[in-house]
Amino acid sequence: MNELARIESEQHGPLCLVRVYGEIDMSNDRDVLTSIEVAVARETDRLVVDLTHTTYLDSAGLALFLRLAERMQARQQMLSVVVPVDSRVRRAFELTGLLSVIDVVSRSEDALSETRPGSSNDQG
Amino acid sequence: MTLRDAALLKALGGDPRHIDGSALFRYASKVVLVGGAYYIAAILGLRLALIERNVTPLWPPTGIAVAAFLIFGWRVWPGVALAALAVNLPISTNGLAAAATATGNTLAPIVAAILLVRVGFRREIDRLQDALAIVFLAALLSMLISASVGAGTLVLSGAIPASKFPSGWAVWWTGDAMGVLVVAPFLLGLFQRPWSGSLRERTELCALLLLVATVSVLVMNTDLQLMFLVVPFLGWIAWRFQQRGAAPAALLAAAIASWAAAHGLGPFQQGTLFEKMITLQSFNATVAFSSLFFAALVTERTRAREALERAASELEDRVARRTAELSTANERLEHEIAERHDTDRRLRQREGQLAEVQQAAQVGNWEWLIPEDRVTWSDEMYRIHGYLPKAFPLTFDKAVEQVGDEDATRIRANLKAALGRGRDHDLPPSEYRIVRADGTERVLLGKARLSVGPDGQPLRMIGTVQDITEDKKAEREHRIAETLQRSLLPDRLPEIPGVLLAARYLPATSDIEVGGDWYDVVQLPNGSVGLAIGDVAGHGLRAASTMGQLRMALRAYALEEGSPSQVVGRVRRLVRVLVPDIVTLIYLVFDPESGTLRFANAGHPPPLLVEGNGQTSYLEGGLGPPLGATTHPRPDIEVAAHLDAGSTLLLFTDGLVERRGASILDGLTRLKTLAADPSEDLEVLCDHLLDSMVTDEVSDDIALLALRQVPLAAGPLFLRFPAEPQVLAPLRQTVRRWLREIDADPSIVDDVLVACGEAFANAIQHAYGAKDGLFEVSLVLSDGAVEVTIRDLGSWRPSPGSGRAARRGGLGQRLMRALMDSVDVNSGPGGTVVRMRRSLQVEADRERTRAH
Repeated sequence: MNELARIESEQHGPLCLVRVYGEIDMSNDRDVLTSIEVAVARETDRLVVDLTHTTYLDSAGLALFLRLAERMQARQQMLSVVVPVDSRVRRAFELTGLLSVIDVVSRSEDALSETRPGSSNDQG
Repeated sequence: MTLRDAALLKALGGDPRHIDGSALFRYASKVVLVGGAYYIAAILGLRLALIERNVTPLWPPTGIAVAAFLIFGWRVWPGVALAALAVNLPISTNGLAAAATATGNTLAPIVAAILLVRVGFRREIDRLQDALAIVFLAALLSMLISASVGAGTLVLSGAIPASKFPSGWAVWWTGDAMGVLVVAPFLLGLFQRPWSGSLRERTELCALLLLVATVSVLVMNTDLQLMFLVVPFLGWIAWRFQQRGAAPAALLAAAIASWAAAHGLGPFQQGTLFEKMITLQSFNATVAFSSLFFAALVTERTRAREALERAASELEDRVARRTAELSTANERLEHEIAERHDTDRRLRQREGQLAEVQQAAQVGNWEWLIPEDRVTWSDEMYRIHGYLPKAFPLTFDKAVEQVGDEDATRIRANLKAALGRGRDHDLPPSEYRIVRADGTERVLLGKARLSVGPDGQPLRMIGTVQDITEDKKAEREHRIAETLQRSLLPDRLPEIPGVLLAARYLPATSDIEVGGDWYDVVQLPNGSVGLAIGDVAGHGLRAASTMGQLRMALRAYALEEGSPSQVVGRVRRLVRVLVPDIVTLIYLVFDPESGTLRFANAGHPPPLLVEGNGQTSYLEGGLGPPLGATTHPRPDIEVAAHLDAGSTLLLFTDGLVERRGASILDGLTRLKTLAADPSEDLEVLCDHLLDSMVTDEVSDDIALLALRQVPLAAGPLFLRFPAEPQVLAPLRQTVRRWLREIDADPSIVDDVLVACGEAFANAIQHAYGAKDGLFEVSLVLSDGAVEVTIRDLGSWRPSPGSGRAARRGGLGQRLMRALMDSVDVNSGPGGTVVRMRRSLQVEADRERTRAH
């Protein structure tokens, strides 16, 4: 495994789960965004991006999710991002206040179990 | 006085001015001796007198006087004169008559001696001319004086009547003459150098003399006329002993006959005095003449024979010498001929060798005699031009007819210039093409030398021509292969902080062709580094091109595939469909941050791990068959290992460990021993290994790739990177490694890493469009805090605009300020410097989340 980031995706009916492995920075943010978008099937209602295995994420990655969120919103699709509490990338979301803009959950089960409206700050 | 007269005088009397005491004594002795001898002989002679008392048929004193003058010189004349006077006084009528007679008797021998000396008389009487001289000049001519004076005196003094003058004169004359003829040779013979005859010869001489005496006495004592019987004995003795025997024999015979005549014995019993006289004188004359002449003749003959013999022997000597010389010369000649033959044979042999060598080297030589325009080619020249050797006579035009137009023009121009220089010189080597009669093209290399005559006119040109067609082809191929290979090997190794890399490539010396070894280092997007080393079996252009394809393919696969086994597996599939060669390969991925390495090996010698403590081991796992060796191999496997800081990994091709006459295991063992010093500088280690492992010539190509993990945090970290997004991941990895090595808390590591990442991204973004833009990063540990400085050459744009970059920029700024204790941005026309600081102390109470 030598690519900076790798994408794995699962489609569960209207639910699409994408796992991002590796690091996201300015050098691969566009590729990661494209890969995610390609992975999302047309019938998808909800996209869950799991960043549990993402080891690095900076402003480029944050910007990526802001854009992804905008595009999902434009298509009437919901986006959740799984960032565990002990994740190495959690602080980036916290420090930039994105938790209030994007639906960020701590556990993937939470994201998958329930269909929820897209604005929650429950992870505070 | 003429010179001749002086010599004559000297010969006869010596130089009178040099008479001293002893000489005077010697002179007196001689005078007395001569006088005494004369006197005694006269007394004896008078006994033989036939007329009166003073005319004798044989008068010995005259012979004594002649001999004395010849032997002692005429100066002893007083002895002769006094003795003569003493002899004549008693028998003469008066003193005056005696004096006159004595004068005549003295004068006659003197004249005889003078005449003899004048005609070159030799006392040995060994030539006919000497015999003639003594007979005619000394005896018959000179004695006219004494006879005339003596007989005249007798008549004048009245001793005999005038009528008896003729007979008296005749007796006197013949007596004196006989005295000279019989006595002088005998005396002269006595005064010769001593005879060296043998005892037998001496005995024979004595016997013969005795025989002559006996025969003489016998014939004189018989009445029969047998006197002539003496003559054969005289002849015999003269023949045997020449004058040495003849003179005494003649004296004996004459003396006996005279004695017989005087006493009227035998043949002299009857007849008148005159008849007796005639008989005696004729006998004496016969005796004297025959003995003298015969002896002289025999001597002369003998001498002539001896001279002839000597000449003959000399001739023989000379002939022998000349023959010897000729023989030597002949031998020398034969030797020379043999040598020349040998030289000729050797020359022909050498010519043969030369021809062989020329054929082997494809070098021909030629000669051009310019004035005659005659060109000679060696056999190989003809072959080079596609002809049979010596197929046709040549001229310059014929010689260059195969040369292409362009080259021929150039050659003619060069030639014209060379001929015009007017001195001996070498022409510059020239390469040209010819087209043979069968249409094949050859490339030739010509060298030539011009010789000119004394006035500078060109005489002769010689040169060589080498067929370099194959060389040119090989050279071209070699050049292509070399260029190809050089272009395929990395011209420089990537710079990875905390990782040292060194590589060597040594082409085989024995083979002019390049090999198929290669190595490569690929920086992977995640900050890992891929290392490859491989060996395509075979050499030359094809191996080089195969290697090039495989290298490119491997690079592509390395960027795509995460695991070494997958990369090797894909190369294996490629080899199966693409190239027929056998290839060995190791592909290895090293993560500098963790020190982890993973690799797969396709039949290649195992990598050597040298740990920081000096322990060495070959990493023998992950081994599969060589590429192209099997059609259905099992999937490639890979193994992992760990490289601590200070450890070294060596990848190499078999050329390093294989040596003729030694097993590869020996080579591997040796390499292990040689590489065991972990502190040796990596470049030095590579050189050291090549020097030590390759002792003789390099029989196979050698590639060597060395990697060493070194500690990063031994001091401040200084980095310089090109302003490209691709460097971000490796850069973060280096920073992460450094932070870990300084034992920063993991949460702080991540914080600093993100802040740095933001700053790096900004620097890269600012430098966008700048050609070969670089930015510098330094991390320094200071007072328990990390100080990061990022310097770029672009301009800082702090206020976010719109769009992606602006959004990212804004987020980045917020992150940096939130993650670090302090962020300081200084922007100017020359670039931007960002300084950030973060304490390493973990502050749980820090309310970073409430920064906004």
